[in-house]
Parts: sequence; C-alpha cells; structure tokens
Amino acid sequence: MTESRTTHSKQNGNDAMTSTEQSSHGFDASQLRSSDAPQLNLANEKLKMDVQHLNLFYGNDQALKDINLVIPEKKVTAFIGPSGCGKSTLLRCFNRMNDLVDICRIEGKIMLDDKDIYARGVDVAELRRQIGMVFQKPNPFPKSIYENVAYGLRLQGVKSKRVLDEVVEKSLRGAALWDEVKDRLEDNAFGLSGGQQQRLVIARAIAIEPEVILLDEPASALDPISTLKIEELINELKDQYTIVIVTHNMQQAARVSDYTAFMYMGEMVEYSDTDSLFTNPQKKRTEDYITGRYG
Amino acid sequence: MTDSQNAHAPDNRGFRHLLPDAEARKKQRRRRMINDKLSAFGISMAGMGVVGALALIFVYLFSEVTPLLRSVSVTPQLGYALPAAGPETETLHVILDRYQEIGTQITRDGRIIFFEADSGEVRSEFTVPLPEGTEVTSFGYGEKRDGVLAFGLSNGQVMVAKIEYELTYPQNFRVTVPKVTYPLGEAPVDVDEQGQALTQIAIQESSRGTVAVARTADQRLLVNAYRTQRNIFSGDVRVTATRTEMPTYPHAVTRILVDNSQRNVFIADPAGYVAYYDIADVNNPSMVERRRVIEGGQRLTNMAFMVGTVSLVIGGEDGSLAQWQLVRDDQNQHSLARMRSFVPHKAPVTFIDTEYTRKGFLSGAADGTLGIHFGTSSRTLLQESVLDSTVGRIAISPINGRMLVVDQYDGVHPYLVDNPHPQISFRALWQKVWYEGRGAPDYVWQASSATDEFEPKMSLVPLTVGTLKAAFFAMLIAMPVAVMGAIYSAYFMTPRMRGLVKPSIEIMEALPTVILGFLAGLWLAPFVEDNLPVVFTMLFGLPLGMLLAGYIWYRLPQQYKNYVPAGWEAAVLIPVVLGIGWFCVASSPYIQLYFFDGSMRQWFTDQGINYDQRNALVVGIAMGFAVIPTIFSIAEDAVFNVPKHLTQGSLALGATSWQTVMGVVLPTASPGIFSAVMIGFGRAVGETMIVVMATGNSPVVNFNIFEGMRTLSANVAVELPETAVGSTHFRVLFLAALVLLVMTFIVNTIAEIVRQRLRARYSNL
Repeated sequence: MTESRTTHSKQNGNDAMTSTEQSSHGFDASQLRSSDAPQLNLANEKLKMDVQHLNLFYGNDQALKDINLVIPEKKVTAFIGPSGCGKSTLLRCFNRMNDLVDICRIEGKIMLDDKDIYARGVDVAELRRQIGMVFQKPNPFPKSIYENVAYGLRLQGVKSKRVLDEVVEKSLRGAALWDEVKDRLEDNAFGLSGGQQQRLVIARAIAIEPEVILLDEPASALDPISTLKIEELINELKDQYTIVIVTHNMQQAARVSDYTAFMYMGEMVEYSDTDSLFTNPQKKRTEDYITGRYG
Repeated sequence: MTDSQNAHAPDNRGFRHLLPDAEARKKQRRRRMINDKLSAFGISMAGMGVVGALALIFVYLFSEVTPLLRSVSVTPQLGYALPAAGPETETLHVILDRYQEIGTQITRDGRIIFFEADSGEVRSEFTVPLPEGTEVTSFGYGEKRDGVLAFGLSNGQVMVAKIEYELTYPQNFRVTVPKVTYPLGEAPVDVDEQGQALTQIAIQESSRGTVAVARTADQRLLVNAYRTQRNIFSGDVRVTATRTEMPTYPHAVTRILVDNSQRNVFIADPAGYVAYYDIADVNNPSMVERRRVIEGGQRLTNMAFMVGTVSLVIGGEDGSLAQWQLVRDDQNQHSLARMRSFVPHKAPVTFIDTEYTRKGFLSGAADGTLGIHFGTSSRTLLQESVLDSTVGRIAISPINGRMLVVDQYDGVHPYLVDNPHPQISFRALWQKVWYEGRGAPDYVWQASSATDEFEPKMSLVPLTVGTLKAAFFAMLIAMPVAVMGAIYSAYFMTPRMRGLVKPSIEIMEALPTVILGFLAGLWLAPFVEDNLPVVFTMLFGLPLGMLLAGYIWYRLPQQYKNYVPAGWEAAVLIPVVLGIGWFCVASSPYIQLYFFDGSMRQWFTDQGINYDQRNALVVGIAMGFAVIPTIFSIAEDAVFNVPKHLTQGSLALGATSWQTVMGVVLPTASPGIFSAVMIGFGRAVGETMIVVMATGNSPVVNFNIFEGMRTLSANVAVELPETAVGSTHFRVLFLAALVLLVMTFIVNTIAEIVRQRLRARYSNL
C-alpha cells in the first residue's frame, strides 16, 4: 500500500500551530478558533492530538470540511452525529486508516503531540501502534484467544514466551476479560460472545501500549449488558489512555465522554465539554439533534 | 393480482386497502406453492441427475473391468473313447483345433486320426508313410501353433509331418478339412547316419529352417539343421542337412527341447535335472549347465516350452510346477533361473500342456487333478479334480475355450474352459514382475506387439508414476506462480489493474490444451534442448532480477515514481521480466560455450543423466501454464474474500501489509488456497493432450526431470483406439481409467476434508 498518497495543504504554515511548549504546558484558550468551539474550555487539559483545517475527499465528494479539533490527553472525547456525517471518517484519519481507500485524498494536518502524522516519512505501522483502533464489529482473528492478544506483540518482534504470557494476562485483565477466559486461552476466539470478542479486541489493542485508542461505535453491535461492560471498561481505560469514541448513541456519549463533538454533513458543528453540549447546546442543529428532531 | 374489488375502495374508516383481497391472496399463495414445489423438484432432479451420471460412469468402468476379476471355470461335457483305443495302440499326442471341433490322435504306429471333438467319431485318418521294417521309436513336436510333428524311427531317420487345417465354405458354411503335409518331403530324412534308433527327438521349425535334435540308442546327441528347396515346377523337395554331434549326456533322458532361435537345447533328466546345451555355434555345441530343478531329490516328470520357447515349465514327482528361463550374468554367461513357482499338485505331475498364444499352461497330476496356470501373473487360476484316475494328456485349443483331457485308459473328457483374462492379478499390475527374456523383475508397460509369442507387460506402476511425475512438475511450476500471483492481485493490486489482470489470466484457461501440447512438443521441447541454460538462468535470474528491480524502485526518488500511477507499480516489472528473459536467451549460447563445452544437454548426458527431448521439464512448463489459471482464479477469490475487517484489524494493530498477509490473510484464506492447489493438481493428473504430445510417452519409472513419462490418461488416449474390444488389454485400459478416476476422487476427497477442517478453524463468523 502506498502511504504517500495524501497531499497536504501548505497554506496553514506553522504560524497557527502549537509548539512543543504549548502542547506540553496545557492549552492556551486564546488560540482556539472561537467559531469552532465557543464554549470549549480546555485550560486544564493537556492536549494529545490537534486537527487543523482537515479536508477529506472521496474522489470529488468532500466528506470532511475544514475540521479543527483538539483531543485532550487521558480524557474520553466522543463524536456524535447522524449517519453519514463523517464522524467515523474523521476517526479513521487519526490512524491513517483512510490510506487504504484508493480514492481518498486528505488536506490539512493532524498533530499527534507535536508531529504531523501525515508528514512524509511517517512510519504508518508505528503510528498505528501508537494509535490503536477498535471497530464497530468485533473482529478477532481466526486464532486462539492467546494468539489474538499476542498478535500485536509478535508484530513488534516479541518472541519470549514469558513476556507474551505476562502481557496477555495484563491486557486481558485491563480489558476486564481475564476471569472469563483464563481457563481457555487456547480456544478459538470465535467461541466468545460478541461482547467478549469486543473486549478481546480492546485487550488486543492495549497489549501494544498505544497512547490513543480510537473506538468506532464499539458497542453498537452488542446487547445492553455487554454495552454496559464496554462502557465501564472505557471509564477504567481513560486513566491510562486518550480515548476517542464515535457513537450514534447520545446517552452513551453522555455517559462515557468528557468532551463531545457534534458533526453534521461533514462539518464540525459544535465541540464542547459533554455536560454543556447536552444541557446547553449553542447551535440550533445540535439542539435539534440531541432532542431527537432528526438522526 | 393487485386489482381486487376493495383495493381502491376506501373502507369505512377511510383507510384504502392496497393489498389484494383474501381470495386473490389465497390464489397467489397456491400459485406460489406450486412454483415452489416444481422448482424444488426440478432442482433436486437435476442434482440427482449429476450424481447419477457420475455414478453411471463409475458403474460403466467397473462393468468393463470386472471380467478381469472373474475366476476361471471348466465345464465337463460328454466323454467318449479315443478312436484308436485299446492296449495295442499307444497314443503319442492329442491335439484340438482352433475351432474346437476336431481332435487329433497320433499313435505310435504312425496314424494321425482326426475325430469329432464332440463325439469321438472319426473324420479322417492318415498314415505317415514309414519305410518298410521301421517303427516309430520317439516322437516330438515343435512350437504348437506350427503344427510340426517329428517321428523318430528305429533306423535313425526322422519323418516330419505337419498338420494343417483348410477352411472351405460349401453352402456358405464353414467346414474345416484337416490334412497332413510333409515339409521335408514324404520320404524320411536321415538324422543318424549310423542308423541307430532315435530314442528321443525334438523338432523346431522357423524361418531359418527346421532343426531336429535327437538322441540315439547309443546315447549320442545329434543336431540336424535342414534347409529345404522346393522345385517350383515339379514340386519336389530337396533337403540339405547340416549335422553336428553334441557332447553326450551320460544320464537318463525323458525329453529334449530345442528353442525357436535354434541356439539352445534343454534336456530333461528324470532324476530332477535339466541340462542346457548351447548350439549357437553349430560346429562347437557345448553343455553349459546341468542344474537341479526339482528339490529334495524328487524326479522330474514333465517339461514343456511356453509359447515363444523362451521359458520352460517343469513339473516334478512332488507335484511342483515352476517356470524357468535363461538369464545372462555379467560375464555374458547364460544359466537357468527359476522365475516363479505355481501352486503344486498333491501328486506327481503327469502332463503339462502349454497354451498356443499366451504364457499360460495346464497341468495334470496322478491324482486326477487339473491345474490352469499363468506365467506373467504368477497365478494358479484353477486346481480342480477332473478325473478319478491319472490325467494322461491334456489338449487345450488354440483359443483356450475348450480342452480334451485324456485318462490313462484312452477315455476323452472334453471340457469347456472359461479363462479369458488370466494375465491380470494384483501382482501383475502393481508389483515387479519377472518377464521372459529379462534379467530381473521389473515394472514394465508394454501391452502389445506384432507377434503372438509376445508377453504383454501390463504394470500400471509406470503409468501411475508417470501421472504423478507430470502432475508434480506441473505443480512445481504452477503453484508458486499462481498462488503468489493470486495474493498479489487480490491484496496489493489496485481494483482497476486487478480488473484487467484477473480476467486475462482466467481467459488463459480457455486455451485448448491441444495447442499448448502442440507448442510444447514441437516448439518448446527443441528450444529447451538447444537452450538448456535458459531454464536455469531464468529460474534464478527472474526472482533475483525482480527483487533487484523492487529494491531500485524503493530507492528511486519520488519524482520518478510519480510517473507511474499509484497501484500500477507491478506494470513496471513487465519490461524487467522481458529484459531478463531476453538476456537469458541471448546469453545461453555463450554459457554453453564457456561452461558446458558447447552443449549443456550433452554435458548432462556425459554426467550420466539421461536427457530426452520431450521431458518432464517441458511438460511441467506447458502443463503448469494450463494449470495456473485454475489455481490462480480460485486462490485469488479466496484471498480477496478475506473480510476487510480482519485485515483492517491487523493493520490497525501496527502490522505492515506483509505482516498482515502472513499473519491474517493467508491463514484465513488457506482453505481456499488449499482447495485451489488440489483442484489444480486434480486437473494436472487428468490432463491428456499436453502429455500425449509433449511427454514422449515412454513408460519409465523415475523422477528424472530430463526424462519423459507416460501418464494414465495419455496411455488410454493412445492405446484405446488400437486395442481389440473385450480383450485383456482393452479391459486393462479401462482399469487404468478407473485408477485415474479413483486417484482424482481420492485427491479431491482429501482436499475437501482438509478444506473443511481448515474452514472450521479459520472460519469467520
């Protein structure tokens, strides 16, 4: 796969952008573009990712229009919006999964810490190790539970059985799955229930110690109990990881996230802390959506 | 249907029904049900039809093959006495003709009596013109189908007679008229100029003339070679004889045999020995060997030539029966060797009668049992008690359908014999067989020849090995190319390029294999022979060159890469491959000149490696070409159908494309890739035209890539049009087809089982 297909818009320059100092010393509210997030107060947060003037095209159709967004570290940020609004597309930009789509073209920047992930020479495989992803449909590999979790480590060249054992246990515990599967680690992962599979996939993702975890509607294919478990898990994980979650379930966004962005038709309509967005939306479209006028 | 009465009529609540009314829906339901039943019936009939058709092919092949397995049977018919029966006449020989109608009795007083085989009624009688005052002291006969008889006389002369059957068709019915002729003239010819009585005589007639070997009353052994010249005007026969005396044999002699080539003489010693004399050098005949042929000091009771006079059947007092032949050792010395033994009789063997055109024989024993045996297949086909007393003589007909068993009181017991396919046994088909004229047991396929005394060699091993060899080399070439190509095209290629490449390769499958075979046999084979280094330089040059090109591409500055549209990088390899190919061909003469003294093929031959022009390499390339589309197409689908969410899951974990292919894509696609390979293998096994045209069709048993082979399918294609319907050869060809079918059936079954297992393991929800 060619990783160099994306073109980068140069007009941004470096002037508007965060320096190492800024990203490591918290956020300067004055730099925030007021039109994007008038209510957002990130003064107390450390920033993990920063999206700048991101435009994305599928062929001639523009799927994302000038997205600007910051992701605070070790918090849960949720993207909500009606189907087709581009929230999953945006999420997939964060670990360059859109590179796999031939006709996809991206302009703008996404900074991880202070490095542009779309810059030339970025090792996409390493980037994806740093930014893990969990998909809507549980996608364990056709291997044993153990091998599923160990897969990412083996990719990194870990061969020691001792290390693998330790990481597998730690990851499965981290994904709150250990007690359920510890006696059948060699069983095929397809023997697990949907909710267990999804937690296995999360365990697989955290096994390679990512910094950011992207969750693309992780509970939409699950029953309410499994959903609850996933949400509890997200709450536990945010102590260690920066989490970005896409959901079209507004209650879920309200329950699990610290910050919420509402997207509509490829545009970022409103971005603020979750409480404010749900209780006091600034835009009419946001209000219409969260009150169920459409969606 | 949608028009129903109330469809457009609003009901009282103001709701408009658009659904057809109940009546119409009921009708529609019935119609649907009928359609459903009909289609279910039709589809299941079609499915059963396919299974039935396949089963019928099996059944048909089986039905053609089963006669091979039928056991031999004999059916007794009404008996009668020989025409000249009684204590005063001694019977020397009994013969049955090829129409199984006329028996012949030859007596010691020189009478040749033809009688009805059904009733014993005399048809005609001839008396051999013996000189006054002489009597018959010995009797011998040559190769049975020649019908030559020799009467050794008490005055040292021999009278040679020949039985011939003339066919006439009065009133359009065949009538066989037997007659006796005298090839050496009606007067007896001298054997012993000293006029001693001949106690034993052997005769053999061939294109080189007639030879008679006799032992006189004073134990001298004489060889007489006769040449005849017939005066075409007067009809007189002039006989010139060459005489030699062999070293005497100082023991008792019961039988002397001389072979067709008139080089070897075998003397049966009743003490259990056979003496072998070499008379090839007429002026210096010598005894080469005296060898014990019956174990345990038992006596030898009977000895006869198999048809073709290459091997001997020897029966003993202990009931043993064995086939012997001359084997040449390293010093070019011949000696007798036992080829095989047959199921022995429980009583002494009293008579051995060999078949006229096949390597089989019948044996009779003192306890009245009859044995039917066959040499090539080492089988004793039948052993049955047919008489209460000793079996005196047996006369099998030339077509092996009837025999006359004569008891010691000159009673004739005709039997119908059903023995159509004695050549076939598991051993003859699948194990090493010691054929006549060969030094050791071997696997040989050579099913037909121009002569009658030829021993058909029908081992399926060379054909099966050839089939596997051809398929193996085809897979060696096709599998890596097809599977790797499939992975590349399914996983790495852009959809547009894939849309171009995949159909093109699949169209290759439609190429008639006869064209591939034709090209392989007439163009590729000579090309490869002349440019052998190309094969090796390409084998290593192409992969290395492609890797090198890949590395250069990787290192190339971005601005050059931009000339090639994304995903079309593979197209850059086309000129690379062409270039390497051209270089390999162009460099071939120089490589041959500098490294292989001008010819690599000759160099291989000098190294002791056989090189045939049409060989497994050529077949591998041509058949590989035919098999690639099959494997590619199925494997490509398998790889392409690996769910995207699995590959994305792997990529999202930081795997590179290559790691994803090895870790997730290949295991998940493995059932499909495996069945692709097996289906390709099945196709290679059954492929016919390419192997017919490009293998050379030599049934050899080896895996030398530079030698040819003959496959089961090619063998059927080549030989079936030339064989007689219903013959053993015909049925063995059907057996070969059945073996082929079973082979592909087994391969496909294994493939399916493995595929199911793999799919159970790697299935994705």
